[in-house]
Amino acid sequence: MNMANPSSSAPIAVMRSVPFSLERLTIVAGNTFLEAVRQKLFNFLLLLAIALVASAQLFREFNFGSSELKFISDFGFGAMVFFGSTLTIAATAQLFFSEIENRTALTILAKPIWRTEFIFGKFLGVFAVVGVFCALTTLLLLALLYHRETALMAANPESFESGRLIHYGDLVLLGVLQWLKFGVLAAITLLIASFSNTNLYTVVMGFFVLVICHLQYLARDAYGQVAALPLRLLVQLLGYVFPNFQVFNLADQIGIGAGIDAMVFMRVAGYALIYIAVIGGLAVYSFRNREI
Amino acid sequence: MAILLLAVTGAVLRPFEEPAWQVVRAQQPALKLDSLQGALGQGLTVGLLGGFRAIVADFFWIKTNSVWEDNDLPATQTFIKLVTAIDPRPLYFWQNGSRMIAYDMPNWRITEAGGYDTVPPAEQRRIDEEQATVALNYLREAFGYHPDAPLLHVEIANVYLNRLKDTASAAAAYRQAAEQPGAPYYAARIYPELLRKLGRNAEAYAWLKQLYPTLPKAADPAKGVSEFQVDSAMASVVLERIRELERELNVPQSEVFRP
Repeated sequence: MNMANPSSSAPIAVMRSVPFSLERLTIVAGNTFLEAVRQKLFNFLLLLAIALVASAQLFREFNFGSSELKFISDFGFGAMVFFGSTLTIAATAQLFFSEIENRTALTILAKPIWRTEFIFGKFLGVFAVVGVFCALTTLLLLALLYHRETALMAANPESFESGRLIHYGDLVLLGVLQWLKFGVLAAITLLIASFSNTNLYTVVMGFFVLVICHLQYLARDAYGQVAALPLRLLVQLLGYVFPNFQVFNLADQIGIGAGIDAMVFMRVAGYALIYIAVIGGLAVYSFRNREI
Repeated sequence: MAILLLAVTGAVLRPFEEPAWQVVRAQQPALKLDSLQGALGQGLTVGLLGGFRAIVADFFWIKTNSVWEDNDLPATQTFIKLVTAIDPRPLYFWQNGSRMIAYDMPNWRITEAGGYDTVPPAEQRRIDEEQATVALNYLREAFGYHPDAPLLHVEIANVYLNRLKDTASAAAAYRQAAEQPGAPYYAARIYPELLRKLGRNAEAYAWLKQLYPTLPKAADPAKGVSEFQVDSAMASVVLERIRELERELNVPQSEVFRP
């Protein structure tokens, strides 16, 4: 025991003897999930998304024919992306900083729990919440599209000569890809939160990074056209540092009968999972040295 | 260190991600940003660049419907062009945009000029031809994005037939439609009917004879032929028309078409 600093060595000694525990991680994740679903923000955004998807029924008034399915799927995925991104960033920041501000983080971390378990537990809790959001909006969209396609097939059979246009299995896969994208976004937000001092800064930076990740492909395209070497290196670096969120943008054509290739799905899913692991690991590393 | 690790991760994942990215890029035609930025403003431009082309185009199509209901010609024309500039992928925008230009706008212009009883027939014809030309140019632009679309040829044919009363050009367009993969059965039937109107019965007869064997006569689920396709193909109607032409052309009994 270190007499000069008696308080520091005992927890370290305990920590060295405490192995990493999936059970503790699961408890943190479960508590985070419950806290998130009780929040008004989650319910508000979920209701808004459901309302927007359901309001796609109004497209019947325009008599678009079979193309109505395209409008419904575009609005449905648009609502999922917009509200899902907002929920991911806001919920991650809120759930992290509520522990800091309420000092519950001090209480938790004083126990034999790894900071890694804490961070990954937080991430998994948010990931589960966003998963519920994506599942509910995808199911609603699926039901709406199926219902309208059935009605349109009866009204305009000539437009459905080859059978149903929508590939419903692929629609579910697209919902999964959006969930994985939100997972990457949650990991990024958690990384920012791990060194940020305020909730507001984390949310604002989270939205900036979201926009950058959606526009990252412009840096890739511009890389070959920039003459000055330092600027070209900077542009190339930007293209490598930020993940490409556009690669998840495969839902545009689902409403007019296009599907998704299994290999493309596997690549994009693998891309997301690797980024989640790397960024999550960086968040853990950053949080380890944080003063709470 | 974080930036370095993320950059290394990005570089390592690039070959893994690139094939999927090329698939996404292939689905998104080039954005003519210069023509759009002034019309949309910065916010929507960022939205377009950020991958929300489909939903932005949908919003503007709904706006197009709104100004179309108000019979606002300049606004309707502007929004039609804007929608297809934002997202040229849905054939629906090109088809319905061309119909608004070719069929509705002449009516609005004539009504604004005093109505069908006031505007001289020659002036009405001039307006019809002007709008039909705009519609045809618009449809031809669509071929840049949909090179094999039979329905675009059908729209062109209908503009020639209904607005310009140009039966020969309409026939040629219907023939082009019928020759595209996935063409509707009616295109292959309408072409010979237009030939008959032009007095080219022998051509119509030759076309129908080569068409009939290709038509489904009975449903065959194993080969993917549905009852609906059999009904649409109307093979019996085609055979009737072959017989009519054989009578009109006095085809000897020994040379009649045998299905």
